[in-house]
Amino acid sequence: MPSADPKSKVSIEDLLRLKRAERPGPEFWANFERELHQKQLTALVKKRRWWHDMPVLLGRRLYLPAGAAAVVAFTFVAVRYTATAPMAEIPNTASRIATADPAIETLAPTVVGSLAIESTQPKQQHQDPVAVASTPAPAVEVRDTAELMPAILAAREVETPSARSIAANLQRLEQSEPELVNSVMGSRLSTPARVQTVASVESDMERSAVSDSGKKYRLIARYADRALSPEPSAPANVRDRIARRLGDDLGEGISRIGVVGSRVSLKF
Amino acid sequence: MNLTKVFTKTAITTPERQQEADADLVVVRQVQAGDVAAFDRLIVKYRERVFGVVYNLTANREDASDLTQDTFIKAFQAINRFQGNCSFFTWLYKIAVNTTLGHLRKNRLRSFFSLEKLNEDGTNTEVLEQLTDKRGADRDTYLRELQEKLNEALQKLSIPHRTVITLFEIDGLSHSEIAEVVGCSEGTVRSRLHYAKQFLQGELGKYLRT
Repeated sequence: MPSADPKSKVSIEDLLRLKRAERPGPEFWANFERELHQKQLTALVKKRRWWHDMPVLLGRRLYLPAGAAAVVAFTFVAVRYTATAPMAEIPNTASRIATADPAIETLAPTVVGSLAIESTQPKQQHQDPVAVASTPAPAVEVRDTAELMPAILAAREVETPSARSIAANLQRLEQSEPELVNSVMGSRLSTPARVQTVASVESDMERSAVSDSGKKYRLIARYADRALSPEPSAPANVRDRIARRLGDDLGEGISRIGVVGSRVSLKF
Repeated sequence: MNLTKVFTKTAITTPERQQEADADLVVVRQVQAGDVAAFDRLIVKYRERVFGVVYNLTANREDASDLTQDTFIKAFQAINRFQGNCSFFTWLYKIAVNTTLGHLRKNRLRSFFSLEKLNEDGTNTEVLEQLTDKRGADRDTYLRELQEKLNEALQKLSIPHRTVITLFEIDGLSHSEIAEVVGCSEGTVRSRLHYAKQFLQGELGKYLRT
């Protein structure tokens, strides 16, 4: 313990100078020298990294051209990647139409086109089922509901010369022989009925196009597959007239003509 | 070469320091010219002082040994960049302090002492006599305790304060030299020195007699 002698003074500087006495012995320095030489050799062999030489490069006053080059490069990269950044493309997530039957895909444009024609000229077009079935329409690749409606509207404006001529012929035939047309087409698909059917199909088309394109295509496919002229149930006078005409046309070659029900039998 | 012109930027306080700096510069020029063996003379000359600085900053014998070796290796690798704007020993001290501070920052949480034995041959015996009137084993025990308390108090100081008081009180550098080594103004050095002494007086008041 420290003595209580008031004459002796010990300051903080005196205490700190004691630290100078904390020195290692000679054996420590022998070991130190050996380790230092080993480390020196290791440092000489060890490959220096490029950034260790950066202070040397900077000390040679290369910082000005290097800095300028870095700024120019950064500006170039920044301008390039900010100015020509592509706009974000939003993928079309609308559900694709799963076409179960390939026939649907081939029938759909024709039907769509014919429906469009009929809607624009209801009185003329709705009387001709042949025209409805055979009107060439532009092939519209329908992908989704958003693309379908413009395609339908565009198809409505299309009216081909063949469709017009077929419709005119049908109209003439209806005027000259309305009974024959009715018998062939059937009462259910007479002009008002056909107009109503087509209108209903069209309205169904539009509704289903808005709601569900797949449903719409199924409806169109059903409509296309449906026979426009069902089994003709011609009356007796029509059957007689047909038999008479056939007899006149075929002449003497036919010995016997018989009409039974819906069948016509000829004997030569 | 006129060495006086070379050291105009550095405040070398004493003529002894000036002569020492001139002699060091000659050796450094030899090393820069390719005489690698000349660097060994600088190692032998400064190894104890560099070790003392590092040891008093780290309070660990093994760390001080490694860091002193690293200091000399770094100095050898950078010797071609030494242009003589300051004295070699100031430049070497700067490397040693920076290396040690980097080590202390990396191992801030790891601190344990491994102290050198007090060498009474190189110590002012009057101080020892004033510190203790005991003899034999009691005296050794007392000195060991004093050494540990002194190191504990130093380690409680912040790194900048510890650096300044170590360089000034233990290694005997001037304010201007410390300012150059540490990289701050002389006013900052004095301020840190004053604060560090006040702190140590509070910590080691038991051993002080005024």
